[in-house]
Amino acid sequence: MHTQQHLQEVIAKAFGITANDITDELEYQSIPEWDSVSHLVLVTELETAYSITIEMEDVLTMGSITKIKELLQKYNVTTAG
Amino acid sequence: MSLYELIQKNRDLFFIDAQTGHAVGIRSFHQSLSIDDRQGLVFIYSDNGIGSVEVLLNFLNSRFTVVMLSAQLHPSFKQNLEELYSPYYIFDAARPAVYGYNTVTVSATIKLLKCKNPPDHQIHSNIKMLLSTSGTTGSPKFVKLSDNNLVQNAWSILDYMPIKNDDVVPLNVPVVFVYGLSIFTTNCMAAGTIVCTSKDLLQPAFWTDFSKYNCSTIGGVPYVYEALHRIGFFKKDHPSLRYMTQTGGILNQALRQEIVRYCNTYHKQFIAQYGQTEAAGRMAFLPQEHLLTKAASIGRPVKNGRFEIDPETSELIYYGPNVFGGYANSPADLNTWQESNKLYTGDVARQDDEGYYYITGRIKRIIKLFGTRLNLDEVELILKNGLGGQTVVCTGINDKLLQVSHVNEQLEESTIKQALKDKLNIHPTAVQVKYIPSMPLTPNGKVDYTSISTA
Repeated sequence: MHTQQHLQEVIAKAFGITANDITDELEYQSIPEWDSVSHLVLVTELETAYSITIEMEDVLTMGSITKIKELLQKYNVTTAG
Repeated sequence: MSLYELIQKNRDLFFIDAQTGHAVGIRSFHQSLSIDDRQGLVFIYSDNGIGSVEVLLNFLNSRFTVVMLSAQLHPSFKQNLEELYSPYYIFDAARPAVYGYNTVTVSATIKLLKCKNPPDHQIHSNIKMLLSTSGTTGSPKFVKLSDNNLVQNAWSILDYMPIKNDDVVPLNVPVVFVYGLSIFTTNCMAAGTIVCTSKDLLQPAFWTDFSKYNCSTIGGVPYVYEALHRIGFFKKDHPSLRYMTQTGGILNQALRQEIVRYCNTYHKQFIAQYGQTEAAGRMAFLPQEHLLTKAASIGRPVKNGRFEIDPETSELIYYGPNVFGGYANSPADLNTWQESNKLYTGDVARQDDEGYYYITGRIKRIIKLFGTRLNLDEVELILKNGLGGQTVVCTGINDKLLQVSHVNEQLEESTIKQALKDKLNIHPTAVQVKYIPSMPLTPNGKVDYTSISTA
């Protein structure tokens, strides 16, 4: 079990913003920090943090924080708490 | 014939607005906006949408000089550039109002901002377009290009690019970059349909459109091909795709092999190119059959162009009708045009026995991060200002990392990374910060960049 806080931090690190700025509503390209460059950084960071390998097709579906959380469940990573 | 006339000559050309699915014929854009008939500057903050395209085409067919800028440029950079150059018109969908400007409705869908007190800049009649040498730093330094530069560049590309008149071309490279502009001009002259889109290839909507409109081609810098690889693009056939184009550096060996395998399996073409804003686009191209045999080569010069290597410095020099007419750093530089067919590329090169050229280094202090050209002197200045005048030195590491060296032990790494992110949107993971006890200097007192780079 991983904490919500931990996920926020992983994402924040990839985007170079603070964890407090990460909300479920945040979407790809909705802030300058979440562009194509940081999107691929995020993929790598998530893989490292949770020891998973994200399928190529899934890289495209990670269009919002909510969708990222749903995707992580598919990889059996739960982020409660 | 002017670039605009050549585009209008392609009478069956259509533009599709990816947002609405509407298709508009090229003739519908002819004088579709009520704009004044005079000389002056127009700032077009383009997002590659159909509105930007309509504005661009209308102003190409005018006496105005078009300044292409990214819609995503930092607002303070927009303001600085507008204060310096006082454009007569501004097209920026993101800003309904700008101080000193009136909003004018020039068509049912397009609004422009018009200067209340237009300056009387003298603009040399050759200058049709100003392009930024770097899309992101907001530098006031522009490359002056003539209509003939753009036309000549397009002709030399059409000589080798396999464009067909029923091709469907997505504008996935921003037209504010000279490479995106070349894709735009050549395909407007010779292809069938242009898909105007502000989506990028990491968004599912881009691929929905790609299939829906049966797109024929895709273009990008090496970083884009790395991203394509990551999303599994090369795992399956994309039936409508015929050819891919690339510029902005050399692909890594593994990726190059993957692309060659993909092209052989599914009968696609891949054309690597070499260019610069100062050449209004392309200077060389590498045909696909040499992608592996001439690995890391930029290829051979485009039609009507030729290369020379300076015997003393090994600098690559290009000659061609597409070479620009000088830089503009302020409005005062707009009344001159330095006619020349010679361009010092700033790249160090060698030529093999069969006439193919290879870039082996750079003379100018320029690096490419994620395919975007960064002038290190500009980055250094912006960073110094952002840090209240701290001494920092910026160097590049293999176009992968921006290295910032500084002499202040108290200066936090995160402060530097934050400043680069705020001012230039450079991703923190692409920055390496290094503290050095003292700044190495050359005998004449300048920063010794070579010893910093190799330290």
